[in-house]
Amino acid sequence: MTVTRRNCLAGIAVGAVALTWLPGAAMADAFKMGLLVPGSVSEEGWNRIGYNALKGVEEQLGAEISYVELQQNPASFEKAFRDYASQGYSVILGHGFEFQDAALTVAEEFPDTVFLISSSYIHEGNVIGLNTDTSQPFYLMGYIAAKMGTKAGLVGGMEIPPIQQAFEGFKNGAKAVNPDFPVSEAYIGNFTDTTAAKEASLSMISQGADFLVPNASGATVGGYQAVAESGDKVKTFSIFSDFTEVAPNNILGLYVADYAQGVVRIVKGVQNGEIPASNVEFGLKDEDVMKFTFRDGASASVPDDVRQEVEAVKAKIAAGEIVTRNK
Amino acid sequence: MANIDEASTAVAPDPAPGRPTGFLFRTFEAIARPAAAVLVALLSGAVLLALNGFNGWNVFDVMLFGVFQDMRSVSEILLKAIPLILIGVGLCVAFRCSIWNIGAEGQLYAGAVAATVVGVAFEGLSSWIYVPLVMVAGAVAGAAWAGIAGLLKVYFKASEIVTTIMLNYIALISTSYLVTGPLKDAASAYPQSAKLLREAWMPRILPPTRLHIGILVAVALAIALYYFLFRSSAGYAVRVVGINPHAARYAGMNVGRNIMLSICISGAMAGLAGAFEIAGVTHRLYQNISPGYGFEGIAVALLANNNPIGAIFSGGLFAVLRSGSELMQITAQVPQVLVSIIQGMVILSVVAFGVYRFRSTARPQ
Amino acid sequence: MDDIVSLGFLATTLGATWRLATPLIFASIGEVFSERAGVLNIGLEGVMIVGAFAGFAAVVSTGSLPLGFAAAMLAGMAVGLVFALFTITIKADQIVVGAAINLLGLGLTAFLFRTYFVSTGRGVEVARPIDIPGLSDLPFFGEALFRQNLVVYSTLVLVLVAVLVLYRTSFGLTLRAVGEHPKTVDVAGRSVAAYRYGAVLIGTGLAGIGGAFLTLAHSNQFVEGITSGRGFIALAVVVFARWSPLGAFVVSLLFGLFYALQLQLQAQPALNIPYQALQMLPYVMTIVALVMVRKGVTPTMLGVPYNKA
Repeated sequence: MTVTRRNCLAGIAVGAVALTWLPGAAMADAFKMGLLVPGSVSEEGWNRIGYNALKGVEEQLGAEISYVELQQNPASFEKAFRDYASQGYSVILGHGFEFQDAALTVAEEFPDTVFLISSSYIHEGNVIGLNTDTSQPFYLMGYIAAKMGTKAGLVGGMEIPPIQQAFEGFKNGAKAVNPDFPVSEAYIGNFTDTTAAKEASLSMISQGADFLVPNASGATVGGYQAVAESGDKVKTFSIFSDFTEVAPNNILGLYVADYAQGVVRIVKGVQNGEIPASNVEFGLKDEDVMKFTFRDGASASVPDDVRQEVEAVKAKIAAGEIVTRNK
Repeated sequence: MANIDEASTAVAPDPAPGRPTGFLFRTFEAIARPAAAVLVALLSGAVLLALNGFNGWNVFDVMLFGVFQDMRSVSEILLKAIPLILIGVGLCVAFRCSIWNIGAEGQLYAGAVAATVVGVAFEGLSSWIYVPLVMVAGAVAGAAWAGIAGLLKVYFKASEIVTTIMLNYIALISTSYLVTGPLKDAASAYPQSAKLLREAWMPRILPPTRLHIGILVAVALAIALYYFLFRSSAGYAVRVVGINPHAARYAGMNVGRNIMLSICISGAMAGLAGAFEIAGVTHRLYQNISPGYGFEGIAVALLANNNPIGAIFSGGLFAVLRSGSELMQITAQVPQVLVSIIQGMVILSVVAFGVYRFRSTARPQ
Repeated sequence: MDDIVSLGFLATTLGATWRLATPLIFASIGEVFSERAGVLNIGLEGVMIVGAFAGFAAVVSTGSLPLGFAAAMLAGMAVGLVFALFTITIKADQIVVGAAINLLGLGLTAFLFRTYFVSTGRGVEVARPIDIPGLSDLPFFGEALFRQNLVVYSTLVLVLVAVLVLYRTSFGLTLRAVGEHPKTVDVAGRSVAAYRYGAVLIGTGLAGIGGAFLTLAHSNQFVEGITSGRGFIALAVVVFARWSPLGAFVVSLLFGLFYALQLQLQAQPALNIPYQALQMLPYVMTIVALVMVRKGVTPTMLGVPYNKA
């Protein structure tokens, strides 16, 4: 993402002023996209990913955008969908499986609006699920962990599909190298408590984990801090965002999800009248969406032979020859 | 402290001696002061926005007019008001007994879980039986969850402030376990329960809007509990125990029984709110079904000076603020958290304006 | 499974216990002062998050950790001043005002963070663990006790000072009297209100520092809602500790222990328990402990405004 957050916020402020000045009708012809996120877009995690996707559509396709944060408030989901749809928004992204039911209900009333649902496999008329198969990059991480480490630890936020899938992929990847490779998991039970994420990570490291990946949305950063403080022997991968500043000596590589590119692609299709005929699954095959890269700055980097193996595995996953999830 | 009947006239503030006491003046005062307090709260929200590069005027525009633009918007406000009113009204009873039940959030979850268990179980049951059954299940579960804290209070003198906070966490974590485990919908990959059977859904009263019978139930229960608290001898006992448990004991009242009664009523109301959210809105159970209604309900009750009729209005006000802040984010991308700031300011300005005297009900032990 | 009984496991658990307890120790000892003077502040969660945010903001703009903690304390006290103004001077119900403080604290910090700091992305430099020569390298005890940062160690000083002030100074004596027999204090010519203001400011100042521990001495960033309910737990700690500073210290550690244990035990794949059962552990144990420990007395005038009559 080239957008700095200061720009984003300045944009929001300017947009806010502009919106109140311009009569609604003048913008009737603009292509509009709305976003529903379950939490705060200020956190470095899941909700930001959805927000970045919306900004991507604004910048690359010139759409008029709007978003609403529905903090764990299912009573508001349906209303927000309906508000956007009735105001002429052509595409509405519900960022999370929990938006699926509400979208299905509202979609019947607005057959010309496209409802995209993140982390969902649905496809019913104009409601289309978009899933980023995080188990694929995590499979690669698990593979590397089993090659380079002796025990891995995974720290999750809550037990929800995007996180379960990721951890499933990690374990399968590790098993592919060594069926007995130990992997432990812990959930902190929320997405805000960085302190808990850090302590859970520290405890895994003290129990012998030398490869640790946190995956807890806003609280993720606590995990990287634990890794950074535990010395160079512990290795990790930066996920979703670039956390190399937090743990420069430990991060072997990055999995950056540019969900925005995937969403932009779909929305562009919608603009041209091409509505996806099935649910959409992004994976390692979509190199613009899933970027899995190695990094050399850490105290130990991934050896060349392992990198080659991983590249080969990655190609097989992209080609569908390796299944990373449990069926 | 001794003036028990002060509570029964709590809707209008008791005028200080020597001030005009005419009907018109009292009516004016009863309306003007809270209105002024709300305006001050909105004004501080507007100033905050203006200082941070937003259009501050927008607050008034949205909160006073925008949210009421059509029938649908109004119905959505009422929909949001249902849990707030129910919880607020229930807490009025507990707080009048000086039982600081901070656990309405957990009791709401208990009710939601029970409504889900019942709502997926009985195929072929008629709505006439199923709908009341779901409500009763929610209320009973909420009362039982609150009753744990009540029993610990009565038999072990365990502070209900502490136990209800702990029971909140336990209820939330249990719900997380249930939707990822035993109650998980077998047909989907998500941590959510199966959909409730259609006969268990709350009937809608204003199609095509989503407003359901919950609003009628909430208002009816508010009136009923007002009569209970201020017009029945059982309610009188609850209030006496709240003001002075020693005097109540001397007067032959069973303090423990009144504590149990009041905390269970507040729990039942919160549980019912949970049942309505499930059977009236989401139709399934998720890990997160409440944005903190249980905590907001505390403010709703206190703002109403622990008067159930007043809680209808304070609950409605909070629902307007919630809807308005969503609308402001959609139209002007104002951060949602503005709602907490305005709610907090409403409470403080109501206090500062002396709308109610908020005489502390806590007593020496 | 054998790791569970190993010394290494015990050592890391104890180390984590102390760290997780630190914010609770600050907030609960502060609240002991407040409640001993008769003021119940259920707005502790709001005060803590204001401290967490103010500390973070100060360090981002000045780069100095001591300034950050000072800012956190002052911000906490500023909120305390508002609380005191409403509850002591205006004599409004303490629970009403506390509820408002919680809403305002969570709302304002999230709003300001989003408006001014989201764009910074980077965290601040956190307080580093301090090695104590000779002790930090001890087997077992080194890891368990002597690899913490200054803020964690300072809890020992805090509890000591709190005990001395509350039980061995005339200020402490008067403060406790204010919570028990305010009339006597009044008759003796001392201002009940002034002591209550003082107690609230001590309480909120310490709660501010406790909040700042999260952003300045443990993780290095502010996240909306980062206190995650610790203010409410601190309230529970005070009651469970029967309004004693030493008790608050011990109970906070106990809470930290259950919290650390649940995180540690989850990481044991051999334990086939749903992780939620472990997550409940601290909360269930608090209830159990509360039922079992019932000695000590509630300050008589807790929550009751004082009227000079």
